[in-house]
Order: sequence, then structure tokens, then C-alpha cells
Amino acid sequence: MRRVLKCAVVGAAVGAILGFGMKASNADPWSLAQAAVPYKGMTVTVVGLDRPSYKAAQELTPEFEQETGIHVKWVNFPYEDTLKAETLNFVSHSNQFDAILTDVVWPVDFTKAKWVVPVEQFLSDAAIADPDVDLNDFIPVWRHAFTVGGKLIGLPFDSYAGLLYYNKKILSEHGFSGPPTTWQQLLTDYAPKLYDPAKNLYGYALQSARGETQTADSFTRFLWPWGGRYFDAAAKKMTLDSPQAIAGLTFRQDLVKYMPKGIIADDHSQVVQLMGQGQVAMITEWSAFYPTLKDSAIGNDLGVAVEPTGPDGRYSAFGGFAYMVSAQIPNPEQKATWLFIQWLTSKAMAKPLIEDGAVVARVSADTDATLDAKYPYLKPMVETWENGSVPDWRPQIACYPYFSELISEYGSDIETGQYPVAKGAQILNAKLQQYMNSSGCWNSINLPQH
Amino acid sequence: MNGERKDPLGKRLEPWFFISPSLLLLLAVGLYPTVFVLYYSFQNWTMGMGPPVFAGLDNYINALTSSEFLGSLQTSGLFLLITLPVELVLGMAIALALDQTRNRTLRRLVQVLLVVPIATTPSVVGMLVQLMFNTQLGIVNYFGHGFGLSQIDWLGSASAAFGMITATQIWEWTPFVALVLSASLATVPGEIEEVLTLDTESFWARFRYIKLPYMRPGIVASLVFQTIFTIKTFDMIYSIEKGGPGNATVTVSLNIERVAFRGFDVGLASAESVLTLVVTILLAQAVVSFLYPARKGAGA
Repeated sequence: MRRVLKCAVVGAAVGAILGFGMKASNADPWSLAQAAVPYKGMTVTVVGLDRPSYKAAQELTPEFEQETGIHVKWVNFPYEDTLKAETLNFVSHSNQFDAILTDVVWPVDFTKAKWVVPVEQFLSDAAIADPDVDLNDFIPVWRHAFTVGGKLIGLPFDSYAGLLYYNKKILSEHGFSGPPTTWQQLLTDYAPKLYDPAKNLYGYALQSARGETQTADSFTRFLWPWGGRYFDAAAKKMTLDSPQAIAGLTFRQDLVKYMPKGIIADDHSQVVQLMGQGQVAMITEWSAFYPTLKDSAIGNDLGVAVEPTGPDGRYSAFGGFAYMVSAQIPNPEQKATWLFIQWLTSKAMAKPLIEDGAVVARVSADTDATLDAKYPYLKPMVETWENGSVPDWRPQIACYPYFSELISEYGSDIETGQYPVAKGAQILNAKLQQYMNSSGCWNSINLPQH
Repeated sequence: MNGERKDPLGKRLEPWFFISPSLLLLLAVGLYPTVFVLYYSFQNWTMGMGPPVFAGLDNYINALTSSEFLGSLQTSGLFLLITLPVELVLGMAIALALDQTRNRTLRRLVQVLLVVPIATTPSVVGMLVQLMFNTQLGIVNYFGHGFGLSQIDWLGSASAAFGMITATQIWEWTPFVALVLSASLATVPGEIEEVLTLDTESFWARFRYIKLPYMRPGIVASLVFQTIFTIKTFDMIYSIEKGGPGNATVTVSLNIERVAFRGFDVGLASAESVLTLVVTILLAQAVVSFLYPARKGAGA
């Protein structure tokens, strides 16, 4: 009996030690609160946009502040002013911003000037790297889009896919059981049948306002699906006068005939409003506009699908942002900023962000069955990113902003009929060739993995 | 005994002491940016692509041979050529009408209302114009449709877009001319006007010989300011059309913004700014010289 007792006591003691030992090895799992202790009281200034994803992020930010004791100050800009504000911040060394926002077409600007810190620097620091960061949970095209020179430079946030929004009721009333799957169908079958200006009804509207909308939403949308490309990087030659590019732009002109008058001046908000008021049956717009359309008068009749395919396949509009850490701020501030970016783009935050109106590129959240049932845009969005997106849908070059200005100028001239398509494409091609040659931008092209 | 006694140095420096804070502030605010722009106009500097390098006159040569810059100057010139006379004629008509009004309350009310377009932020004006004149969604076409008018594409063609920014500029700045000229008319001595009223009933005679000479300083001031304001106009045009469609509304200010903040070419943008400044000064000087021709022997 004594022996049994002795064994029991020894066993209990060993068990207790082992148990303690096991507990001890798990005693300090990584936690955000613990990692943030050295940075408590610091303020991280974050660049944001006046868009739903940033509104959602700002609503959730107090959770981060509470957990870490790090203050977060958001500074919002209109999209058009963001790159200018960030560039001036770096050029003047004013250190106004810690978390830098990059559009999918700007990363080369920031990396070439060494204004931002590559992600690996933070991931290799066990004290601030969340073991659950799981980069593979970001949809691959997004990781590729923000990889410059083989290095990931930011974590994706506010990620868009071009989608086809359609009014089920209008389509059904005109004998269509669903949306078109090819651009050709849209032009030959749907657009003429749905064109009824007397009743203020149009089949399709394409946001075409001068600026990035003309470049990204109007011009480029009719380039890739027809096999057109901006340039041949190896040959340092612009290719916007290729037969494929001209075919795509000619198709756009054919489609414009069925669009509402004045479409050349319409931006995102106007086409979304036209659809929301039931004047337009279909638009191709960013996934971020789903909540706006769902809340409109046609919300109950709203359908969402992937964009139609062209003769060369399906290449949907691709756009979005990532957060990066400024290289000009002191090291402790960089780490505090990283903690915020890591938290905001984490798997754990993806679902609450979606619920609050943001669009994120996290597979785990975007394919969540409960969220998919509640937000029908998620499925076509993921499908688009997996099978219909290229990361350099718009070129990743250091001089993109002015490059885009030229596209926008001549793109809208072609759309208004100021130039016949072929002539306009040739003039634009020559202008861009001259600009790329004189600016030395051929040497700054980033060709991300497809 | 000693004739005129010279002021001590302290006494002579006294005015400078009082004026120096404002002078320094003016130099800091006004002169520094101009010197900065002048300096960078001789540098080859693209933000984010290395430090500035001395470029001599390259930026000026590039600006003067750039079809974009010259085209934008042309657009600004046309914009000025249309808006300036219209603003002057309309502003003068409003000022004269106000001067004729005997009802003080009505005059005050109109004067207050005239301030509204000037005081409204130009980007807000642009946004409102864009909303009101949108072909499909705008209220103007909506009401037009109610009167049986067909849909007008106010913003969708090059000529319509240019017409729209011109009309908006006239709407926004005519009140400024009206208020300045109204203030000039208020300086006409009552007795002179009374004498002439007894002498002739002709409105034209009173206008020609009394009101116009008194309005002349106001006209000069309005034209000089309006020349500067019109060439500088940016926010209103940007918020309506962003320079489009094509480059139909790319004025010189929009072009400089494009070069500076889309191309980040600070050197070229600075050279274009300096050239624009020179053109503006020459135009303003031309206005002054035209309305105040130098009189031979004046001041002798």
C-alpha cells in the first residue's frame, strides 16, 4: 500500500512537473498585446481613402488601440491625391505617414526610391511577426501584385475584382435567363434588345470619365480580353497599335453606341447610380460597389457574375491596394506600424472587415460558407482572382501616373470619336513610346508572376 | 541756428522696425516659393528618381517645344478671351443696375447674393455643375424633359465641356466684377451727377462722361485680377472634367499639375510655371497700358 502510495505521489509529482513543463513551453505564445508592449503610447499615422474598406477599418481600429495601447491616426485622401501626398511626404522627409498605401500600379515608385521596408524584415523578427500571419492565405495574384524584385513589399488590403453586376428583373423581362458570358453576346444579343432611350433604359454602361477611370475601367478592359497588351517589355516597344488592341478598342466603340448619352463624363458613382435607379441593366464595376448597389432601389433584383470573356479569354479588371511600412521613420515606429498592418490584414480581422463593408483578399474569409451566403459577390470575386486576373493588368512601372494620363487623354479622345480607333491608337502608341524612351521607364518595369 | 537738424538713426529706422514683421512674412510667403520655383526650373529633377541635377535652359526649351504646354496655353488663352469681356459687360450691367436702384434694402440684398458664387469653394461649384448637368441624372435635363426638350449632352463632347467650364467661370466671377465696379460707382460725387442730370437726360451721356471715368480704376483692377484668376483656375475645371474629354479642358494650370504630380517632373513643371507667370504679368501689364496709356509729358 505504501508502495502504491509512493508510486502515486511520485507519479503525481512527475505529472505535475511535466504538466508544468508543457504549460511552461506554451506559456508565452505570441500575442499582439505582448508584442506591442515596447510601443505602447506611440501613434501610428495611416494613409486611408474615402472608400468603404477604410471606413470599415476605421470602425474596427479602436479594438487594436485597446489591445496594444498604440494610437492610430487615420489621414484620408481622395484617390487622385494619395500618391502625390505620399510622394511629397517622402521627398520632404516630413515623416507624416507611417503606414503607406500603395495602389497595385504604384509599388515600383516606392521600392525604386527605397521609401518602404520589405515585409520579410518584419517577418524575420519573431517578436513582432504573428505566427498566424499565413501569407499563403492571401490569394496568389495579390501576393504577386505586391512583389517587386522578388520581395513582398506590403500586405494586401481593399482588394477589388471587376465584376458584372446585372438587374435580374430587367434581363428576365427581355427574355434573358442570365447575364452574358462573352463580350460578343453582350454586344450582339443583349445591348440592342435592352436599348430603349425613349424609356430611359440601356443595356450596359461603362464608366469612362477622364483620369484613372478611363485608363483602368474603360481602356484596359477592352485590351486584354482581345489579346492586346500595353507593351513588349523585352523589345522595349509599345504595342497599342497591334491588331488585337485595335480590335478591342473598336469593340468598345461598337458598344458605346448602345450606352447612355454622356457616358464619357461618367465616373463610378454615376454608373452605379444609373444601375441603382434601374436605367441600366448591366455594368462592369469593382467588387467594392456591391454594398452600394445592394442598398439601392434595385437591390432585390441585383445579380453578380464574373466579367464576360473576350476572344482571348477572360481578363477582368484588377485593382486594389496594400499597406507598407515607411522606411523613413525610426525603427520602433516601423515595428509599431507593422503590428497595425499585420493586425488589419490578418485572417482574424478579415471576416469582421467584410461584415463592415470592406473587400479583402483572404481566401479563408472570402470562401467562408456563411459569408458567401450573405454576400453573393464573394464567389465571383474569388473566381475572378483565381482564373481571370493578371497582377500587371495595368503596367507596373515607375512612371505609371503620367503614362496613365496619356492613356486617359487619348483613350477618351478615341471614345468620343475625336480620332478614329486605329489612328487614335497609333498616336497614343507613338506618344507613349516617346515618353517611355525619354523617361527611362523601360528600366523600371516590374513583371510580376502570373 | 544750425538749419535743419538731421533725424537720428533710430528715428529713421523706426518705420522699418514697425514694417519689418509684415515685410518678412510677405517675403517668406510670397518670395520664397517664387525663388524655389525659379531655382528648380533650372534643375532636372523627377521626384523619387534621384537628386536634382543642373539642367541649364533645358526645361525652358522642353516647355516651349512641348505641344501639351503650348496647347494648354492656347486653351487658357481662349478661356480668358471669352470669359473676360463677358464678365466685364455683365458685371458692369449689374453694377449700373444696382447704382440706379433707389431701394436700399434691395441693393444690399443683391450685393449679399453676389458674394455667394465668389465665396463658394470652386471644387464644390464644379461638383454641383457636374451633378446638375449630368446627361442622364442631372436636374437640368430632367426639367428640360418636362418642357419637352430633348436630352442635351452637356459634358460629353469637347466643345460642350469647354462651354460648360466657360459658363461656370463667368457665373462664378461676374459678381466679383460687379461688386468692384459698384464700389467705383459709389465714388461718383452726388453733386456732379445731379448737375449732369439737370443738363441731360441721356443715360449714355451720363455713362460716358461721369460714370465710366469713375469706373476706370475699378475696370482696371477687375481686369487685372480676372486675368490672374482665370489663368490660375484649377479646382473648378478639375472637379467638372479633370481636363477631359481628351484634352479639351486642359488649361495651363491643369497641365502644370499633370507634369508636377502625375509625371513628378518638378524641373519642367517649374519652368512651365515661370513661363506662365511671365505671360500673366505681360497680360496684366497690357491691360493697364491699354486703359491707362502713358501720357506724353506726364509728371513733368
